[in-house]
Amino acid sequence: TGTTIVGLIFKDGVILGADTRATEGPIVADKNCEKIHYMAPNIYCCGAGTAADTEAVTDMVSSQLRLHRYQTGRDSRVITALTLLKKHLFSYQGHVSAALVLGGVDITGPHLHTIYPHGSTDTLPFATMGSGSLAAMSVFEAKYKEGLTRDEGIKLVAESICSGIFNDLGSGSNVDICVITKGNKEYLRNYMEPNPRTYVSSKGYSFTKKTEVLLTKITPLLERVEITEVGEAMEE
Amino acid sequence: MGDSQYSFSLTTFSPSGKLVQIEHALTAVGSGQTSLGIKASNGVVIATEKKLPSILVDEASVQKIQHLTPNIGTVYSGMGPDFRVLVRKSRKQAEQYLRLYKEPIPVTQLVRETATVMQEFTQSGGVRPFGVSLLVAGYDDKGPQLYQVDPSGSYFSWKASAMGKNVSNAKTFLEKRYTEDMELDDAIHTAILTLKEGFEGEISSKNIEIGKIGTDKVFRVLTPAEIDDYLAEVE
Repeated sequence: TGTTIVGLIFKDGVILGADTRATEGPIVADKNCEKIHYMAPNIYCCGAGTAADTEAVTDMVSSQLRLHRYQTGRDSRVITALTLLKKHLFSYQGHVSAALVLGGVDITGPHLHTIYPHGSTDTLPFATMGSGSLAAMSVFEAKYKEGLTRDEGIKLVAESICSGIFNDLGSGSNVDICVITKGNKEYLRNYMEPNPRTYVSSKGYSFTKKTEVLLTKITPLLERVEITEVGEAMEE
Repeated sequence: MGDSQYSFSLTTFSPSGKLVQIEHALTAVGSGQTSLGIKASNGVVIATEKKLPSILVDEASVQKIQHLTPNIGTVYSGMGPDFRVLVRKSRKQAEQYLRLYKEPIPVTQLVRETATVMQEFTQSGGVRPFGVSLLVAGYDDKGPQLYQVDPSGSYFSWKASAMGKNVSNAKTFLEKRYTEDMELDDAIHTAILTLKEGFEGEISSKNIEIGKIGTDKVFRVLTPAEIDDYLAEVE
């Protein structure tokens, strides 16, 4: 339940960012997990909270969005994703622990929203969520301005995620970024790796020579099952 | 049994062993507009007539060939509204599979699921069988595939098939023209020629629909402009 996720609107669209630390209480469970989830080709969603919940809820809604696209023959809108998410979360009265930053570009332009586990939503030009949200927001509040270029936007998002990574114990490891513009998106997985491994054993981690090979022969499964006719099996 | 007179199944076996309602559904298909499909060596094509009830209907608003998944498409002969229901159910099924296994549903499985729904509607209370036959075209790990699903819920894999009005003529034509090593573009030409056989009036990009899928595994409905190009090649 420790995370830094952010999003901002820039000149040509939306940029989302996330750290990659997953925790189980005091333990770092995954040093490089993915927190930016796919919703639709033009919509992505960062998730904080219970990993299983953010994963499941974004999966379910992206599924509904896909069926909706088939039915309507049009691209999904961010507001549709927002409504589906908040309706679901509200109906579970906060028991689905998903705090989300939803961003995308649709026919009506770029959109950025935050969604709280109880189902309330905000519409913002820049947003942060998770335990590192305060650290990240302090960067945004000091430096965000309207009409940022793509490079400025990415730089600012990376900086705010880094402030989460370095100042919030619940966040850490790398920076993931997703840039969505009209008709295009770039998923920059591990855009920054500010915490590389500092120690690697000089002896290496290979197995000792004593390691025993138990089996090298691979027996393929039967190619085809042979069926022998046993007369009219269906009849008495 | 309080609801006596309405509790009889509409699909009761006749003494001769037939299910009359299914026969009727098949008749509905047989009088529907012609659809056909051809499996080529490197893809599948499905095509259909698109005759509209009046010239005042906007032909761009009618889509008889539909996507089920990015790599599976389908077309029908028979009742349009029934097709819509089936397409919605099949898409949902495909989506459920994708969510469970994080992998696109194989064509065979989607066909089986769809056929199962159609079968259930021959044996449930308060419903009637679907008045459609489907042609399902897809391309997956097992290569190009073409299936036909009937109102009874039975389904077959075909190298080439036709349904609707003029089935027998169309099938005879396909039997003459079909070869195993046929390529996708040849198959599209053959599909157009077969449609042309039983076509009343002038064939054009406005009154037929063609869907194809090739080795890229992306099902696509051809635009009127593309159909015009193929029609010109066939001339």
